[in-house]
Amino acid sequence: MPALAPGRWVAVALFGIVALVPAGVRDAYLLDSVILILLWGALSAAWNVAGGYAGQVSLGHAAFFGIGAYSAALMTARFQQSPWLGLMLGVALSIVAGGVIGYLSNLSTIAFSQVLLIVASRWRGFTAGSEGIPVPFRPGFWTLGLGHVAWVYLALGVAVLYYGVAIWLETSRVGYQLAGVREDEDAAEALGIASRRLKVYAVTLSAAMTSVVGTLWAQYVGFVDPFYVFSIDLSVRFALNTIIGGIGTGLGPFLGSLLITSLETYLRATFSGMKTGFAGIYLVIYGTALILVVRFVPEGLTGLAARLRVRSSRAHA
Amino acid sequence: MDPARRLGPAQIDVVAQLGVSTVLLGGIYALVSVGLTLIFGIMRVVNFAHGEFLMLGMYVAFWAYTLLALDPYVVLFVSIPLFFGIGVLTYVLVMRGVIHASHNVQIFTTVGLSTALQNAALVAWTGDYRTVRPWHSAVVIRALGMAFNLSQVVAFAIAVALTLALFAFMKWTHTGRVMRATAQDHDAATLMGIDTDKVYRLTFAIGIACVGAAGVLVSPLYAAYPTAGLQFVLLAYVVVVLGGLGDMLGAMLGSLIVAAVEVVGSYFFGVAWKEVFYFVLFIAVLVLRPAGLFGQRGAETLGV
Repeated sequence: MPALAPGRWVAVALFGIVALVPAGVRDAYLLDSVILILLWGALSAAWNVAGGYAGQVSLGHAAFFGIGAYSAALMTARFQQSPWLGLMLGVALSIVAGGVIGYLSNLSTIAFSQVLLIVASRWRGFTAGSEGIPVPFRPGFWTLGLGHVAWVYLALGVAVLYYGVAIWLETSRVGYQLAGVREDEDAAEALGIASRRLKVYAVTLSAAMTSVVGTLWAQYVGFVDPFYVFSIDLSVRFALNTIIGGIGTGLGPFLGSLLITSLETYLRATFSGMKTGFAGIYLVIYGTALILVVRFVPEGLTGLAARLRVRSSRAHA
Repeated sequence: MDPARRLGPAQIDVVAQLGVSTVLLGGIYALVSVGLTLIFGIMRVVNFAHGEFLMLGMYVAFWAYTLLALDPYVVLFVSIPLFFGIGVLTYVLVMRGVIHASHNVQIFTTVGLSTALQNAALVAWTGDYRTVRPWHSAVVIRALGMAFNLSQVVAFAIAVALTLALFAFMKWTHTGRVMRATAQDHDAATLMGIDTDKVYRLTFAIGIACVGAAGVLVSPLYAAYPTAGLQFVLLAYVVVVLGGLGDMLGAMLGSLIVAAVEVVGSYFFGVAWKEVFYFVLFIAVLVLRPAGLFGQRGAETLGV
């Protein structure tokens, strides 16, 4: 078979397995895990467009997630409209916000997410304040009130689409230009690449992609809490998944999400039985893992796999 | 209408009260920010875990007060060397390995440290709000139509003394000169025989000692909980960016500006919205003067 890198085969296999899961599995808990892993993967893939491909590391991407979540929740709960309209509104708002932030600096996303957190949690008259908004469940596709199986396919569709965006960024002219800007901005500019505009486009695309998943997440989970959707922990999680999986790679965000989400489920189940306060220990492990990974395996799981493959092919030669 | 807001002689007192409140708050913010500024200015590392050391400082004060009945101002004498040691340890275990790595690696190392410390505190001491109420936090000083909490005045005085001592240390001692030389040109400093690893270790330790001391000082004024550092560290970033990224005098002026925005904003719009004002200020500064209000140096290396 020609010209399909090993990473792509893994992706095809992973997405293929997920597509077959609903055929054999009826366990709601397992399907729920699959949906969450796909949504986390899509969120991390969205972050990766800015943080990985454009090199614009952001620790405030929760801002766009929250915009998407609140757009949908307010649209459905307050105005009785379709969440798809909320999705479009969220994307429009995120494009504006992402454009401005991309133009300013990636440092300002933290400030932006904090401002949104304060507004969402204090503006009681409109957002219901710190209590959060329950998202009403109304069965049907137009209202996004779907069963588990339909959610698996919807989340899978978004995940595959986002993986496609990553592949496009790896193979297209724009993608090469972006890589040039990331690696050496001066050299790229000398070659006539409008580096700043390109970075703004990447951050804007990343913001819009994050917002879409924010909407889906709000509809799936059914509740929007300002302290969660705008939290710095959430922003860090997008980055963490991507870095552990492999920053700047198509598959990395999904592998990272698979690993971290499974680990979280396992550690939570293990430690929650011991003592009430021990539930937080998995986050201590995360933090430590992040320090160790960026120190010793900065290229993440995909990079580690590539390294091992090179070593084994040398051993065979 | 609130009588204090009515026009007339009372208005003058309000202005004076707001002015002095700004200065008192600014002094404390300066001590929180100065360590972050120092670490950024010399090591070119944005320490996202800075607030967690402040939180640890608050807990040290809380436990010393609760278990041993020690006043936070007594604890200060122990906490400064203690946090200096913690700083050395953190540098050796965590920071040394990434000091020459890319900015992203450094950012995520300190972010990981922040997550780990926050949740270690949560596991060890739960998420309850812990308050220290020594006798001086209940004493109110009234003078010239203004009223102040004694703890706040003492915290301000100590914070200013420590900040000025650090400033003098950097300016006039040999070690301070060595540290500034390393900040200006790492390679040239190495060629002059400066052990830059030692300089970074000292810088990190001093930065952490400052923020640990700040944590102890603010403990009678703010509650301690695992994410208590967050509100201060976000504010400290604003201060550092306002002050021109790594410039210590700029950081002091930045602290005063942030404090003024907070005090005046809370007075007119309510305490609930105070953070919005300095974040808006922060974004405005990034739009208008990306290198900060008072500086140019170093903005480019942060990638902003």
